[in-house]
Amino acid sequence: MLKQVSRKNAVHIMLFYAVGCNGCDIEIVNAAFSPFYDLEQYKVILTWNPREADILAVTGAVSKKIAPALKAVYEAIPEPKLVAAVGSCAINGGPFCNLGGDLGSSDQLLGGVSKVIPVDANIPGCPPRPEDIIQAVASVIPLLADKE
Amino acid sequence: MIMSDTDRRDRAEYEVPLGPLHSALLEPFRIRLFVDDERVVDTEITYDTAHRGIERIMEGMPVQKALIITERICGICSHVHLWNSTRMVENGLGIEIPQRAEYIRVIGNELERIHSHLLFLGHAFEILGHETFSMRCFMLREPVQNMLFLLSGNRVHYTISVIGGVRPRCDIDKEKKKNLFEMLNNLEEGCKNFANRATKDTLIISRIKDIGYLSKEDAVKYGALGPNLRASGVNDDVRMRVREYTDNFDFDYIVFDGGTVFDRVACRVYEVLESIKIIRQALETLPDEEPMNVNYEIGEMDFSHSYNEAARGEIYDSCALDESGRIRNYIDRTPSMTSISAMEVSCIGDHVTDASIIIASCDPCLTCTNRMTIVDEKKNKEYILSPEEVKRMTRRRKV
Repeated sequence: MLKQVSRKNAVHIMLFYAVGCNGCDIEIVNAAFSPFYDLEQYKVILTWNPREADILAVTGAVSKKIAPALKAVYEAIPEPKLVAAVGSCAINGGPFCNLGGDLGSSDQLLGGVSKVIPVDANIPGCPPRPEDIIQAVASVIPLLADKE
Repeated sequence: MIMSDTDRRDRAEYEVPLGPLHSALLEPFRIRLFVDDERVVDTEITYDTAHRGIERIMEGMPVQKALIITERICGICSHVHLWNSTRMVENGLGIEIPQRAEYIRVIGNELERIHSHLLFLGHAFEILGHETFSMRCFMLREPVQNMLFLLSGNRVHYTISVIGGVRPRCDIDKEKKKNLFEMLNNLEEGCKNFANRATKDTLIISRIKDIGYLSKEDAVKYGALGPNLRASGVNDDVRMRVREYTDNFDFDYIVFDGGTVFDRVACRVYEVLESIKIIRQALETLPDEEPMNVNYEIGEMDFSHSYNEAARGEIYDSCALDESGRIRNYIDRTPSMTSISAMEVSCIGDHVTDASIIIASCDPCLTCTNRMTIVDEKKNKEYILSPEEVKRMTRRRKV
């Protein structure tokens, strides 16, 4: 009980930058950190430390090179944890996996985040607007609080 | 004195690795600082984790479809990639575009420069630990994003240019113009206040003057571009050679002589004010005509190329088209690529605690830079980190 109450009052988001274009990345930082959208006033805090994170927000498609690092970071996060795939690249690889001409998709990429780690929430958009990110975080927090 | 690699590394008594995922870096790159008595004697930046193979995806695609992918190279300087690649195809095929479209493209580029520089300043001040200034920069940046949203309908990927002109949704009508003027006036006031405050603040100046020195010779030798080059005293801006700018607009190129972190920060602060000047001129003298020329045919094109000035420096696109208008051999060279070596050089000789701000002051943006794969298998293995190593690095708390 106490755990759930305290968890609700300090949700930490860790931003993992896979192989994106910086767009979603900056929108997340904008939503959480900047004074205009300011998620921190709702006790949602941006962190860079997997040990204290609750939600892992992954932006960008996953390349073969960054996949082991993503797995390691995911394993380092203590239970309960949620993963949010932010932006169309994180959901299914975006234009880099689905628009290939005669040669098909890129050799360097694996595709969406779900190919490497289980995903709980998808936030579509290229990039999603800060309002969407705030709404997604608000809808994901009850899931986190219900977990044992 | 120039030392060979092995000499420098032998002298180093300790190695400080940062990254590829680290609290001080927003992007996945790896910095190895070789430290001797807390002085940096050598640096090495590795940045190959974010390779997407965009040039290869574009091979064989119809040109209209392929050019939009160039915008997805970067989420900060997205417009200039698309503008430059469209301009390159227009030059090669001899397509004339209306002047109104040129003006709107310039407005997009300058708005983008403002938001990129403000993001840089916010990030730099955050690293310095001055949160008030950092927040002010982010607060100033928000109206710019709103202006871009009003102009094009998206906050990051605007997709303004299309072969022949600009998309109809990005055209500026009377109502839009009025709103843009109003927002621009507020923005200019805010930026002027901030520029006065930031470049005269003794606390900030005492922290960033005299560190990260990049001499004029080194800047040229290692190929620094854009504001990094101009802060080292070289007056070179690709906008001097771009027809759209030289014919229509009157503005100054900001040049500083110092070559230190302070000069790089101040150079960007004043460039924001110059960009506002250009946008105002463009809005005032916007020609009244159709923004799109649809009378063109796409066919075989010989090698064509185009240069332009992005927020971080010179950008170069080139390709050829086959008979049915498909892309052949696309080449896209972006500014951060060459700024990497300038970053490495400017760190040398400074205290290890300054390295983070020095690297940030060169404005690294690695989404466009990851374009090389290491072919050598043995060398390749050296760079891949074991999971334990990654965990150990990411566990390190923000200093």
